[in-house]
Amino acid sequence: MSRETPVWLNFVDHTGDAGIWVRAGDLKELFARAAWGMFSLVTDMDAIRLVDVDDIELEATDRYSLMVRWLSELNYRHVTENRLFGKFEIIDIDEESLAAVVRGERLDPARHQIFTEIKAVTFHGMRLERGQKGWEAQIIFDV
Amino acid sequence: MQYQVRKLADYLWELPQTGAMRVPARIYATEKMLPQILADNAPQQAANVACLPGIVKASLAMPDIHWGYGFPIGGVAAFDAEGGVISPGGVGYDINCGVRLMALKLTRDQIEPRMRELVNQLFRDVPTGVGAAGALSVPAEELRDVAKRGARWAVDHDLGSESDLGHIEENGCIPGADPGQVSQKAWQRGRQQLGTLGSGNHFLEVGYVNEIYDEEAAGVLGLFRDQVTVIIHCGSRGFGYQICSDYLDVMDGAVKRYGIVLPDRQLACAPVNSPEGQNYLGAMRCAVNYAFANRQVIAHHTRKAFAKALGMGAADIDLRTVYEVAHNIAKLETHTVDGREMNLCVHRKGATRAFAPGCREIPVEYQAIGQPVLIPGDMGRYSYVLAGTEKAMRETFGSTCHGAGRAMSRVKAKKVAAGRNVIREMEAKGIIIRGQSRRTVDEEISEAYKDVSNVVDACELAGISRKVAQLKPLGCIKG
Repeated sequence: MSRETPVWLNFVDHTGDAGIWVRAGDLKELFARAAWGMFSLVTDMDAIRLVDVDDIELEATDRYSLMVRWLSELNYRHVTENRLFGKFEIIDIDEESLAAVVRGERLDPARHQIFTEIKAVTFHGMRLERGQKGWEAQIIFDV
Repeated sequence: MQYQVRKLADYLWELPQTGAMRVPARIYATEKMLPQILADNAPQQAANVACLPGIVKASLAMPDIHWGYGFPIGGVAAFDAEGGVISPGGVGYDINCGVRLMALKLTRDQIEPRMRELVNQLFRDVPTGVGAAGALSVPAEELRDVAKRGARWAVDHDLGSESDLGHIEENGCIPGADPGQVSQKAWQRGRQQLGTLGSGNHFLEVGYVNEIYDEEAAGVLGLFRDQVTVIIHCGSRGFGYQICSDYLDVMDGAVKRYGIVLPDRQLACAPVNSPEGQNYLGAMRCAVNYAFANRQVIAHHTRKAFAKALGMGAADIDLRTVYEVAHNIAKLETHTVDGREMNLCVHRKGATRAFAPGCREIPVEYQAIGQPVLIPGDMGRYSYVLAGTEKAMRETFGSTCHGAGRAMSRVKAKKVAAGRNVIREMEAKGIIIRGQSRRTVDEEISEAYKDVSNVVDACELAGISRKVAQLKPLGCIKG
C-alpha cells in the first residue's frame, strides 16, 4: 500500500485468515470505513479512480448481518463485474437496512494490483458496538 | 485453553466425552506436536463437533489440525446417514479444494535451464483469479453442465483425456449434483472463474522427486528419483464460496426448525435426510464437480505452457496425471463401525481420503498399494506423496492429513518478510516464484508454515497413511 494505513483502521492478526478492526464516530461512518478497510486488503486504494457511481440498498435482520450483507454485496460486485470501489457514502442506515452510494471504476490489470481475493465475509469473531469513543467493528474474512 | 487430554498411544490423544459431547474427540499427533496443537482453539472445536447429532465413533483431528470456522481444519467427522447431520461448515468455503499431481518423463536437469521461461509461461497461461485475463467465460447453460459432469465436461471439450479422468477421485465427477439448488449469485461468481487458480494458499508448482521411501509404491505410481512433477492446488473458486455462504444461512434456520442444540452457531447443520440437508448435498456436489473441472482446465493449460516453454509439440509433452484428491468435502460412504456396516456422511475438512489397498474406489492399477494421497507443503520446502492403509479404514474412516497448516498469520508473515526480497531469496535456493503481487508472495513465505514433514511422519507413525515419496520445488506461481 502506498498510503499510510488510517488511524481508524487496524489489520487483525488471525492465523490463516485476514481481518479488520475499524473505529468511527457514527454507524454511517463505521459501515463506510469497514468497506474501505475490506478493499484495502484487496488492492491499493490510491489507484482507484472514482468514475462509476452505484446505489446500493440492503436489508437484514440485525446490524451484524447488515454488515455481512453490505460487505458481501460489494465483494460480489467486485468479483463478478471486475470492479473496484474506493469511496463509500452511507446515505441512510438503521439496524436493519441501509442505503449507500459507492464510487469506483472497472478493474484495469495495467493499473490495479490484486493482493488477495476475499472468499467470504464471516460472522466469526465479529464485533460491532458503540464504545466510549464512538463505534467499533471487527470483521474476519476468509481469504 | 486448558484441556484434559488422555494418551491412547504415542500418536493418539483423546478429549474424553464430557458434557454435551456424544462421542470423544481424538487427535492424531506426536507428543512433540501436542503443545502447539493444544495452544489453539482447534481441540475445543473438535470437541464441539462431537456434540452434533448422529456423530459416529469420535470427532477426529489429523496432525495438521488448526482453527477453522466452527469445524476445525484437519477434522474428520462421520455422521449416520439415517439419523445424523450434514453441515456446510464441516466442508468449508472452498468446496473440493484439492490437489492434483502430474509427472513428466523428463528429469530435473533437463528442465532446470528453462525454468525461468517455464514459470513465466505458466504465469501467462494459467490465470490466477479476479482481474486476470484468460479464464474461460462459460455461458449459464453450459455451467450447469460443468456442475453436473465435472472434469468429464472438460475432457469432452478437448481439455484433457480419458486417462486424466481415471486418475481423479470419483473419476472427476461426483453423482447427485443438483443444479436446481444453486443460487443465482453462485452461478454469477462461477461464470468467469473456470480454469483459474485463485489466491491465498493456492498455487501451481513445478518440482521433482527428491526422495523415495517406498520403491514398490513409487514404481506403481510411475515415480522415479529426479523426475519432474507438477502440483496443482485449488478448488471451486467463487462458485463454491458462494454455495457455502448461501447454505450457512439456510442451515441457521434449519437448526431452529429441527431443534438442534449447538455449542457454536457456525456448526449450523441439518439432518442428512431433511430437505435442507439434501439441497445442500445437491448444491455442494455441483461445486465438487466445478472444482474437478477447474483443475482439469488448469492441467490442460499447464500442458500447453510446458510445450511452449520447452519448445516441444503438445503431443510430445507426456505430462501424465498421477492422481487428484479432494480435501474439503462431504461424501456418503459405507464403513464398518464396531463390526457393523454403516452408511455414513463423512465430512473431511482439510483432510484427505486415504483408502486402503484393494478398495474398489481406487484406480485398478493402484489397488495393490492403496490410494495415493497428495500433501502439499510450503513453497520453499517439500511436499509428499503418501498411500492409504487398512488402519485408516478401521480408525479414521479412511482419512489422513492434508497439508502443513500455517504457523504465522498473514499480518505476521508480512512483518517477517518486510525489508527482505523473498523472491530473490527463493531464487538463490533454486526456486523461481511468480506471484500476482509481492504481497501475496510475502504472505506465503516458507516460515509462515509449519514443517509438513512432522505432519506426514505423525500420520505414518499412527499408521493412517504411509510415505511413498518426497517432492521438492523448482518453481511456483501464486495467485
